[in-house]
Amino acid sequence: MNATLSLVLSTAILGGAIAHDASWQAPADAAARVNPLASRVEVAAGGKKLFGQRCSECHGADARGTDKAPDLTSSEVQAQSDGELFWKISSGNTRRGMPAFSNLPEPQRWQLVMYLRSR
Amino acid sequence: MIRRLLILSAAALVLQLIPSRAAAQEHAYFVTYDHYLEEPGNLEIGLSSTSGLPRNGESPYHAPWLEIEYGVSGWWTTEMYLEGVTTHRDGSGFTGVRWENRFRPLKSEHAINPVLYFEYERTNEASRIQKEIVGSGSLDFQPISWLRSETMHELEAKLILSSAVRGFNLSENFIAEKNLSEDEGVEFGYSLGISRPLAALASGTPCRFCAENFVAGVEAFGGLGSTLEFGRAGQRHYIAPVLAWRIADRATIKASVAAGLTPASDRLLVRIGYIYEFSTRGRK
Repeated sequence: MNATLSLVLSTAILGGAIAHDASWQAPADAAARVNPLASRVEVAAGGKKLFGQRCSECHGADARGTDKAPDLTSSEVQAQSDGELFWKISSGNTRRGMPAFSNLPEPQRWQLVMYLRSR
Repeated sequence: MIRRLLILSAAALVLQLIPSRAAAQEHAYFVTYDHYLEEPGNLEIGLSSTSGLPRNGESPYHAPWLEIEYGVSGWWTTEMYLEGVTTHRDGSGFTGVRWENRFRPLKSEHAINPVLYFEYERTNEASRIQKEIVGSGSLDFQPISWLRSETMHELEAKLILSSAVRGFNLSENFIAEKNLSEDEGVEFGYSLGISRPLAALASGTPCRFCAENFVAGVEAFGGLGSTLEFGRAGQRHYIAPVLAWRIADRATIKASVAAGLTPASDRLLVRIGYIYEFSTRGRK
């Protein structure tokens, strides 16, 4: 009984983590934000390092996704604006297992956006 | 029990050898909780201690605790504590267990992010880790063997409010605790914290000592009496600078020195913690 319950819970949690959440949308003003570091190519390497430290566990070392989190190189993700990606990194989604990274300073979150754009 | 805690701490250090990758969270606070929960499937093992320097010539003490934290989901983190104490003159002993659960009800980030916290404690009067302070009155400095004979079952609830503002974390915790073993009313306490990383940009190369790996801040905490005794007399209040150093992707060391602000408070509480985090769920 306990094993069955654990299996059901694990499946629900992991399944939820990779399911698409249509309601998880950045507000218009957040989506319109421009990356203030966009012209500073010298800081892009920091984004790669941050991705390795913070994101690769779930999204994979190459950002192509794992069974825990989606492929960030997909056209669906890359079609989003810098502002939308920044908002999703900052806000997280507790219902899908995506942590909020608002604990990182804003420039570091923009560095992550720069790295995602390079994928 | 102290020996058991030392063995467990050695095990935590050995965990460095496990080839897993998960980012350690740099919570600089020891008492205050923010709204960042454990990532789903991640297990965090921490060994920390509170060393107290009491007033009035009472015996200094050292209270280690082991915490095991697990991210059940994006909105639920559960944690178990084992704690002990050793003193300069009054003996040593195991002081109890705590089981806490934190729930984040909102899906995304807001200006103020609430977290609901519930804890069951089975501790004794010798407990000195002071992970939170409630009620009023100073610590009891009897021989540890006497104090250990008084076991308490307690329920505790916290309302955690936390915000990310211009690179700073601001957190406020409101605490209510009920001792089920004897009638002490409902005891209240608080904790407030502010912290921020020391660097805004991440460097492009791996580094251990660069500023981006440090988080610094201040926390204040104390007891606010109870429904039976709400006066300010005998309350304990502390203020503490805190510092966290992310020494590796999976490991963080943190420290704080809390100064007692009232006659009932100990003169100083020195805390040191080592936190190690790894993922328990595999990937493709």
